[in-house]
Amino acid sequence: MMFVVRRLLLTIPILLLVSIMTFSLIHLIPGDPARVILGQEATPEAYAALRAELGLDKPIVVQYFSWLGKVLQGDLGISITDRVPVSQLIMQRLPATVELTIGTFLVAILIAFPTGILAAVRRGTWVDYTSTFAALGGMSIPSFWLAMMLIIYFAVENQWLPSSGYVPFSEDPVRNLMAMILPCLATGLRESAVLMRMIRSSLLDVVNMDFIRTAKAKGLNEARTILGHALRNAMIPVVTTSGLMIAGLLGGLVITESIFSIPGFGRLIVESVFKRDYVTVQGAILVSAVLVVLVNLIVDILYAVIDPRIKAGKGAGE
Amino acid sequence: MFSLKRSKALLSAVLGTALVAAGCGGDSTAPSSAPSSETSASATTGAKVLNIGLKADPPSMDPTISTSLYDRQVYASLYDKLFDLDSEGNIVPMLVDTYEISPDGKTYTFKLKQGIKFHDGTDFNAEAVKFNFDRNLNEEQSRRKGELKFVQSVSVVDEYTVQVQLSQPFAPFLSVLTDRSGMMVSPTAVKKYGADYVNNPVGTGPFVFVKQVKGDSVTLKKNENYWNGEVKLDEVNYKVFTNGSAKVQNLRSGMLDIIDETPVKEIPALEADPNFEMIIESGLGYQGLHLNNSRPPFDNKYLRAAVDRAIDREALVKVLFDGYAAPARTAFPKGNLAYNEELNTPVKPNPDEIKELLAKGGKPNGFEFKLKITTSPENEQLGAVIQNMLKPYNINVVLEKVEYGQLLEAGSKGEFDAMQLGWSGRPDPDLNFHDFVVTGNLNNYGRISIPQLDEIVLQARAEQDPEKRKALYAEATKIMQEEAAYSYLYHQYVLIGYNKKVTGLQFYPDGLIRTAALDKQ
Repeated sequence: MMFVVRRLLLTIPILLLVSIMTFSLIHLIPGDPARVILGQEATPEAYAALRAELGLDKPIVVQYFSWLGKVLQGDLGISITDRVPVSQLIMQRLPATVELTIGTFLVAILIAFPTGILAAVRRGTWVDYTSTFAALGGMSIPSFWLAMMLIIYFAVENQWLPSSGYVPFSEDPVRNLMAMILPCLATGLRESAVLMRMIRSSLLDVVNMDFIRTAKAKGLNEARTILGHALRNAMIPVVTTSGLMIAGLLGGLVITESIFSIPGFGRLIVESVFKRDYVTVQGAILVSAVLVVLVNLIVDILYAVIDPRIKAGKGAGE
Repeated sequence: MFSLKRSKALLSAVLGTALVAAGCGGDSTAPSSAPSSETSASATTGAKVLNIGLKADPPSMDPTISTSLYDRQVYASLYDKLFDLDSEGNIVPMLVDTYEISPDGKTYTFKLKQGIKFHDGTDFNAEAVKFNFDRNLNEEQSRRKGELKFVQSVSVVDEYTVQVQLSQPFAPFLSVLTDRSGMMVSPTAVKKYGADYVNNPVGTGPFVFVKQVKGDSVTLKKNENYWNGEVKLDEVNYKVFTNGSAKVQNLRSGMLDIIDETPVKEIPALEADPNFEMIIESGLGYQGLHLNNSRPPFDNKYLRAAVDRAIDREALVKVLFDGYAAPARTAFPKGNLAYNEELNTPVKPNPDEIKELLAKGGKPNGFEFKLKITTSPENEQLGAVIQNMLKPYNINVVLEKVEYGQLLEAGSKGEFDAMQLGWSGRPDPDLNFHDFVVTGNLNNYGRISIPQLDEIVLQARAEQDPEKRKALYAEATKIMQEEAAYSYLYHQYVLIGYNKKVTGLQFYPDGLIRTAALDKQ
């Protein structure tokens, strides 16, 4: 319990730092947001009015503290272009991305675990070479290309699955799942390659350790040795990779989201950057940073559960 | 073993929470999702649903605060306007029945069509028109103040007659009313929803607002009581596809019926496919180079002219757009009142002429200048093409890639040699010209200052007779070309792709898809 509390307290300075960085980054971008928002239709009066409305005429420190004060009360501000609360925009966009992340992760582990374990167990055989080759291919294929190929094959040529048309799960589960298959495959196939290589190498490390030899010597069959003993010990690096993967996906699904026209969180950030809706950009980046910190927190707690030595603070070679 | 089970339990708990969170998130949009289960139900009962793919998200459903081009696609279904453009680009009355302009060009009297109601049942009458003008002029957030700045007062004469008083004659006034400033929103809805009107828009158009999912789609349903003939479609959905190729694949797969913009590389394949059709026409805008007339090297008219004449527009359009854009030498594309074929026809660069211009400008051995462009693959290619076209004359172009905000700032401060920035375009010639070429104007980044030109443009703006205006713009264009004050390069095309099942689709110069007359087989 102390471990969790300590870990939680540590997130506070991290989040504060994140908020300062988010805020300064946005304000370091050259060019005046008011000018971009108004574009070539700006009149000097409209320009001055918008600057005042956005608080851009105040010193930057004042702007930061008034922003932070509101953020702490859960108010991320009102979107400059959409005129609705940023928190509402984010809540509308997060479910799709979370669903896509989970789907991607499921596809990735469903493929990565069996192939990774097989490749490790049958090291040096054709099974190993084939899966390594496939994984290399998977890592090298750009996800937008894979996505287009999937659309052309499954939606245009054969009409088995829709090429777009996201609906929230709560509204129509069947249509939701149908529309999510291709996007989850497009990103999941790629991620599975990374995970599979990770599982293979980490399992190989463990298999050569003494306790596995002991287990084998005691006459345990191979499946039980691998699944029962080796796999659990090989999990730590895999959990780390998965954690990073999930954290990366939460904000990084932009390409998949834009190809399949899914109203997700990644696209919200990118669209807001283009529209110079910097209130939304600030809010969304902050939320995505919080999510990453949370995922890392969960990963750390998972470590402690898998390997009690970490909880004790002794450190077990990560 | 125990802790392995625990870790599994924890993992599933985490995934479970995430799933629940996803579900909850879905619930949070529940109020807006209610009508759409209706729409998915109607989709299964064989209702006529039209899906239109847009390049970007329409950010605002309120024409008063709109600054985005993509809003206007949705507005074309939601709102009617006082005036509209016909397919030739002529201004025709829409909600207005007949109108009169006083001889001094300052008083406009509009007689309105009768018996029209907004989607919420509010009557459309003179009071509603006055309300809309006042809102566009006074509302703090209004982005329409600039284009309506000559409106002095608006008065209700009787229930269906409105009089607008201008402070000075302004010929583009009616054309301004064919766009957002002329769109009529329901006064009742504005009063009821206040700032939240953006999310509850009410017009008189052929379709009624159902819901908008930000970043994804806008859903509209048929207006059963449309004043201008029966609406044939039951539902129109606007869906956002930021990826052009994905949009084309969705057109092919049948998820979309019409796409607002087609990547040029995809056009030949779509044209070859018997299921699809393309609309390929010139849009209203132009792209080109602002040359800084106020400082060296381009305070020298011969050096400006040397650059301007050395760019081969035909080749440029071929390289950049596979020919799907029109070479430009004026601010007025086809469909514009001031379009002049002779003046707009590109000329092949003549090396002798360019060398002579360089010599006259005092730089017979060439010179160097910096060209600011925004970072996009298209613009970078444009920069490279121009660089190569000027090289043979020893004109060395240094490309400087900047962000759009920076470009606008450099432009307004005049801190540049040359920069690439065009204009999306308006139907009236004045709105493509005045702000960009008259001395001291906000968008006159190149610091063009030619007294004779100023005079002609102001005269054209006050002139009511179209033929006389045309002649004035031709005269102004000749001055622009001779001075090479701004280097026009090309006019963008409207490239609408659509499924042949859609009938009644017509091209309008503003590039907007009018859905009122559309049907789907």
